[in-house]
Amino acid sequence: MFSFQTIVENLPTLLGAARYTLLISVLGCAQGLILGALLCAAALSKRTALRRAAGLYVSFFRGVPLLIQLLVAYYLLPVVGINVPPLAAAVLTVGLCAAAYLSEVLRGSINAIPKGQAEAALAIGMTPRDLWVRVLLPQALKIGLPAIVNELILLVKASSLVTVVGIVEITRMSQSIASSTYRYLEIYLAAAFLYLAINLVIAAAGRLLERRLTV
Amino acid sequence: MSLEPTAPASAHLRNVDKFYGDFQALKNVTLDIPPGKVTCLIGPSGSGKSTLLRCINFLEEYDSGEVRIDDRLIGYETPGGRRMSGRRLREMRRDIGMVFQQFNLWPHMTALQNVAEGLERVRGLKRAEATERAREALAKVGLADKEANHPSRLSGGQQQRVAIARAIAMQPRIMLFDEPTSALDPELVGEVLAVMKQLAAEGMTMVVVTHEMGFAAHVADRVVFMERGELVAAGAPREIFQNPADQRLASFLQGYRERNSLDF
Repeated sequence: MFSFQTIVENLPTLLGAARYTLLISVLGCAQGLILGALLCAAALSKRTALRRAAGLYVSFFRGVPLLIQLLVAYYLLPVVGINVPPLAAAVLTVGLCAAAYLSEVLRGSINAIPKGQAEAALAIGMTPRDLWVRVLLPQALKIGLPAIVNELILLVKASSLVTVVGIVEITRMSQSIASSTYRYLEIYLAAAFLYLAINLVIAAAGRLLERRLTV
Repeated sequence: MSLEPTAPASAHLRNVDKFYGDFQALKNVTLDIPPGKVTCLIGPSGSGKSTLLRCINFLEEYDSGEVRIDDRLIGYETPGGRRMSGRRLREMRRDIGMVFQQFNLWPHMTALQNVAEGLERVRGLKRAEATERAREALAKVGLADKEANHPSRLSGGQQQRVAIARAIAMQPRIMLFDEPTSALDPELVGEVLAVMKQLAAEGMTMVVVTHEMGFAAHVADRVVFMERGELVAAGAPREIFQNPADQRLASFLQGYRERNSLDF
């Protein structure tokens, strides 16, 4: 028989684990957006070296599975003398990977902005930094918002991969509860709804923001 | 009033060449833009008028020759030398206002923010002071009541007037207009030209690329005709429009008259 009781009993534990899912997603996303914006600026730079570096970065972090990246970071960092807690390594890696995808979303968005927008800023003597922060990025975020929301949702789901470095988030916790209670279906369904709830909130926030940005 | 008139600047082009790959957009152009006067650039499309205009604030990088604002070279440290630093170029551009064919207002800002942005970020004014001066500039173009509107809530003519306000708020010493009425519905052209006439009357140095022959004839102090990247003829409007000495100019004007004649 399907046991709601099992779900109710284990929900607090699952919610506790969801904190890690959220932490990794939120910090990873923040890091991804900031680093992604910088990478995008590098990719659109006039300097060949910067463009090449950004291209290499994106190729690597987009081309290697996140799972492998996490394992590499986990085993590599101590070897090179960097001892950080697994959680920090996980957040860092997830953020680095997200930055690769987000930088490409932003690059596409910035290319969609009419050239005259930047020309108007340059013509009054704006610095490149102000041009980016005040004129280009706000418009790029708006143009790219649907794609950015996609990326964030993917990020929440990809956060389950951090179990390989020993972090117990929703997926790992549900496995562990399921194997001790033998209530696989109930527990995995609960996990599914938790992910769904998080992502529905992100999607709703995205739509709200989109409406606010439309004038 | 904080929007006091500034000393108008002159501009001087000497043997300016500009290439796009193999195509030569400007051919050895030499032209003096006198201070406090209106210079109109006319000619067929693709003749290099806009390119020439954009060389004056170095939005277009000329390949050889000299472009000076007063006596200061723009874009390069010395003629044919290294590119000038970004900081020095920005310093020079502050004094050069530009108005674009497509307005290029920033869509995520209100009319007021569009005008105040440069004052705050570039001129370094405090928010309150920038806002006050931006309001003055908007009032000057007759849009005091539209300050809270985003560009999408303004007509083309209003958008272009906000763009002019954005330029004049910076108190430039010379203003460049790149076909400022070409993207407008015919009934909206007049309000933009009226603002430009007012600026001209105040003694602003203006360089105007235009297809509005009426404006060129009545407001310009000097009209310059270009074709295929060359400066073909320059003179007072009367000389250019009434006694075109050059054959290419005569046929350009003839074509214009035929398209715009009112013989129904």
